[in-house]
Amino acid sequence: MSSPSTASLESTPGDVKRPLLKVTGLRKTHQTAGGDLTVLKEVSLGLDAGDTLAIIGPSGSGKTTLLGLCAGLDDASAGSVELDGLAIESLDQDARAALRNRLVGFVFQSFQLIPTLTAMENVLVPLELRGESGRQAEAEKLLTEVGLGDRLDHYPLQLSGGEQQRVALARAFIHRPKILFADEPTGNLDSGTSGPIVDMLFRLNREAGTALVLVTHDPALAAKARRVVTMSGGTIVSEEENDAL
Amino acid sequence: MTPSKNKGLPRSLWTALFHPWVWRMAWRDSRSQRLRLVIFSLAIVSGIAALTAIHSLKASVERGIASEAKALLGSDLRISSRREIREEDIGKLSGMASRISREVSFPSMMRFLPDGGARLMQVRGIGGEYPFYGGVETRPAEAWVKMREEGGVLVEPAILDQFSAKVGDEVQLGGIQLKILGVIDKPAPRGNRFSGFAPEAYVRLADIERSGLLGKNSMAAHQVHLEIQDGPTSDALKDSVREDFKETSWRLETPEDRRENLGDALDNFQKFLGLIALASLALGAIGVAGAVHAHVTRRIQTIAILRCLGCPGHLAFGIYFAQAMALGLLGALLGAGLGIAMQMGLLMVLGDELPISVSPSPEWKIAAQTMAMGFAVCCGFALLPLMKIREISPAVTLRSGACLKGGGLRALPIYGLLAGLLVMVAYANDPNWKRALALVGGMALAFLALVAVARGLMAVTRRVVRLGWPYLIRQGVSNLHRPGNQTLLFLLSLGLGTFLLVTILSAGKLLNDRLSIQQSEDSPNLYLIDVQPDQVAGVEAVLDAGGLPVLESTPMVTMRIQSIRGVAVGDLKDVPRWVGRREFRSTYRDKLNFTEELVAGEFATGRADPGGVVPLSLEEKIARDMKVGIGDEVTMDVQGIPIRTRVTSIRRVDWSRFNLNFFMVFPPGVLEDAPGFNVVTTRTPTPEASGELQRELATRFANVTAIDLTQILEAVRDILGKISTVITVLAGFTVLAGLPILIGTLLNGRDVRLKESVLLRTLGASAKQVRIILVIEYAALGILSALTGVLLAVAANAALATFVFKASPWPDAALLLAAFGTVTMIAVLGGLALSRGVCHHPPLEILRGGS
Repeated sequence: MSSPSTASLESTPGDVKRPLLKVTGLRKTHQTAGGDLTVLKEVSLGLDAGDTLAIIGPSGSGKTTLLGLCAGLDDASAGSVELDGLAIESLDQDARAALRNRLVGFVFQSFQLIPTLTAMENVLVPLELRGESGRQAEAEKLLTEVGLGDRLDHYPLQLSGGEQQRVALARAFIHRPKILFADEPTGNLDSGTSGPIVDMLFRLNREAGTALVLVTHDPALAAKARRVVTMSGGTIVSEEENDAL
Repeated sequence: MTPSKNKGLPRSLWTALFHPWVWRMAWRDSRSQRLRLVIFSLAIVSGIAALTAIHSLKASVERGIASEAKALLGSDLRISSRREIREEDIGKLSGMASRISREVSFPSMMRFLPDGGARLMQVRGIGGEYPFYGGVETRPAEAWVKMREEGGVLVEPAILDQFSAKVGDEVQLGGIQLKILGVIDKPAPRGNRFSGFAPEAYVRLADIERSGLLGKNSMAAHQVHLEIQDGPTSDALKDSVREDFKETSWRLETPEDRRENLGDALDNFQKFLGLIALASLALGAIGVAGAVHAHVTRRIQTIAILRCLGCPGHLAFGIYFAQAMALGLLGALLGAGLGIAMQMGLLMVLGDELPISVSPSPEWKIAAQTMAMGFAVCCGFALLPLMKIREISPAVTLRSGACLKGGGLRALPIYGLLAGLLVMVAYANDPNWKRALALVGGMALAFLALVAVARGLMAVTRRVVRLGWPYLIRQGVSNLHRPGNQTLLFLLSLGLGTFLLVTILSAGKLLNDRLSIQQSEDSPNLYLIDVQPDQVAGVEAVLDAGGLPVLESTPMVTMRIQSIRGVAVGDLKDVPRWVGRREFRSTYRDKLNFTEELVAGEFATGRADPGGVVPLSLEEKIARDMKVGIGDEVTMDVQGIPIRTRVTSIRRVDWSRFNLNFFMVFPPGVLEDAPGFNVVTTRTPTPEASGELQRELATRFANVTAIDLTQILEAVRDILGKISTVITVLAGFTVLAGLPILIGTLLNGRDVRLKESVLLRTLGASAKQVRIILVIEYAALGILSALTGVLLAVAANAALATFVFKASPWPDAALLLAAFGTVTMIAVLGGLALSRGVCHHPPLEILRGGS
């Protein structure tokens, strides 16, 4: 086990291999009526391409905040996040969006499908945002892979939670991201439904060679990742590696 | 290394708006909201429709006037004078024209024989072949020619019905009897304003001379119509006549003048009505802003997801701006279509009432301009909420419950743009920067006042609510300030709507009050004019015999101003030209009457000093126009004889009492021997008594003209009624603009409160409890909106009353109460309707995130 908060940076002197994600001294403070509230304190970690990392910890420990900062969804109060060698804090919002579109996939606890788009349209959005059209066949293949080949024209409201999350998975992989951020991907699903979703998530991750950052409460799910960091009170309190993987 | 940009999608907002993906996404995004968005687009329909209709009507009528300007005047030059035009002048004028025609018109009593009653008519005696352009239409068709060649009278069709007379019957006019030859369907062009109050009768000029009425009628107007064929233009002829007859005070009118005069009248009509339409459009635009705000609020999550997936801010903005543009285009198209339909419909219905033929065809250019204005205003107002899209963080995907943030100082340029847009639209309606700025400034003040009230309400409710309050009240009141509250939107839409509606209705009432006549028991309702000095006793005896009072019997002498402070009135640069041209009808007496109040100097109560300077009393407004004060010398030209006067008193006159009042009052001892006539006033209790008296007078004193105020009032009321109808229709349009806004606001409220109410239901709240909470919230919103709107309207009404109508600044309490009650009730009913929806929704559907 490494030392808390800083030990997870895997580079060694002379090692020229650059991590896909590099987080250094990350801090996030909210200003509230009752004074400043620091929800993330000096967090550092790294992740190589194709690697898998699970972040676990109790509610309020800062897991989701860390995930959001890593993906450039929010601004850190201090510290830096490098994604594929690019310092996110140096980019404006649109440049971050472009970076996400090029490198990042997302899976959320509450699925976050666009309610006015069909399953097929939802999956195609990342490609359309690149200006790529005519890739319906690819989207259909991916949706068929996740078992929704017959539900292409259904709207999110016409799908169950498990089905919605499978659409979200297809959307996350359609543009072949280098890294996938998953925030409690099975948090809204029962165990019967979550099992296949998790299997799919790791299978797609393996097949596409995508790095995976997973925030979860579920130790069983976390155990499927090669590395597991545990957070508490806004810091990383431990990190474990699953050598078997 | 810099991140690679999206290559296929547009990189700027401008190009984004032309990109198919943005429009495709806008279309997809609207899927669950299309009906609602269409309802919102209706908010601007009424404003655009009213603007299109008003401006198109004006353009159509102007086109008609331009193409028929000569027919509207009937000649190339019309010369009008209150004095008889001398024969030698007529001879000189004949040499300047290819054809010439004379006309004398005056109000006079006409008696239908053998004993069918008498009526005041506007008699038009026409000599020559006037009108030279355009025609007169009669039934039978040959009646006009017959009248000119053989003599006789033509009357308006309604007069035959009124007196059960028919073609071939006879009438008495002064000392002669004339046969009714037919009825007039399309009259000759008019010049005299008074003719609007009395039906017209056409006779030959020669018959007028035979009637003995000429020379005894103080209200006669003398006209000469000139036609030129291959000579100078109308304007050149006008200049020649002005040059050759310098000493006259003739009024000259060319077809171009008439076109301009009618154009001015149309301008005023369009400006006033356009104001109301503009207010309606502004209200609609605010409604659209509210609707777009609500729509974007519902889409926060979607926008955050798009941002998460790599959508740049300008593309997200572009998607919703495209929707707003579509919304604006739909509203503008519907509005312009409705406006064109209104214009065509009005022209079809009113075509026969217009003095010119106007073909009911659409004014495409006007419609396109109005559409563009409406579209721009709609898109401009939509920018306010849309600007906040860029502030939506992609992190919203990780945590729910985000609100739309932004605005403040960053929105200032948008507010500036909107103010500029509205000023331009107001300027397009009325090209006067001052008025355009005042209008937009007034609306901005009302807007700010409502925002201040809304913010104040939120601040107050945040502080006053106590935990000890009953839960339902606490919940209802707290809803006014909690996140997702609708206080600002509700106050803006309903408050501004109330303000505009009450202001329009109050202005209409002020106008009516201003024009209504103060009639009391001692006010006359029948004027007997042109009573010659030797007829006064006889006329008073007729009144006595009929048991009617002689309320006033006043001498009247006509005169002009010759010079002021020794300078010829025509040479005074700061005195309006009309002052020198006007023929004043003045009286003499030694006391003020009860409708007058002395405001300066001393009223002369004795006889004037023979041979000395005559003390003169002026009415205050005419003194202001003449630029004279106490002690100034004014020389009057009393039918050729100069009389030196000095202003010794200035009076304020209550003209609304309809008693005999005068601009100039002389002391006794000066004007007694000047040619003049008397006016006798009385009050008849019934129309029958008035008719009886008029018959008697027409028989015994044919030259005496009886002007029945009741008939004039009817004509005025008829005109007012039409104006009032137009105002009411436009006020109705404002209500129409308010309806979609109200529906939109309630629908937004439904979105906000639905989930909360369903949660309460799930936790065990009864339908009644949910209803009470909503009713408390909506009643508070309704009361505040109504109260603010009404108070703003009271302020606007006071400003209008004080500065425009010079009337009492106190508004009509009944109207205010009715507006307050109605608006509050609508808000409460809206709240109840909302609770009905909430209580009928399956909670599970809502809790699962359905909508």
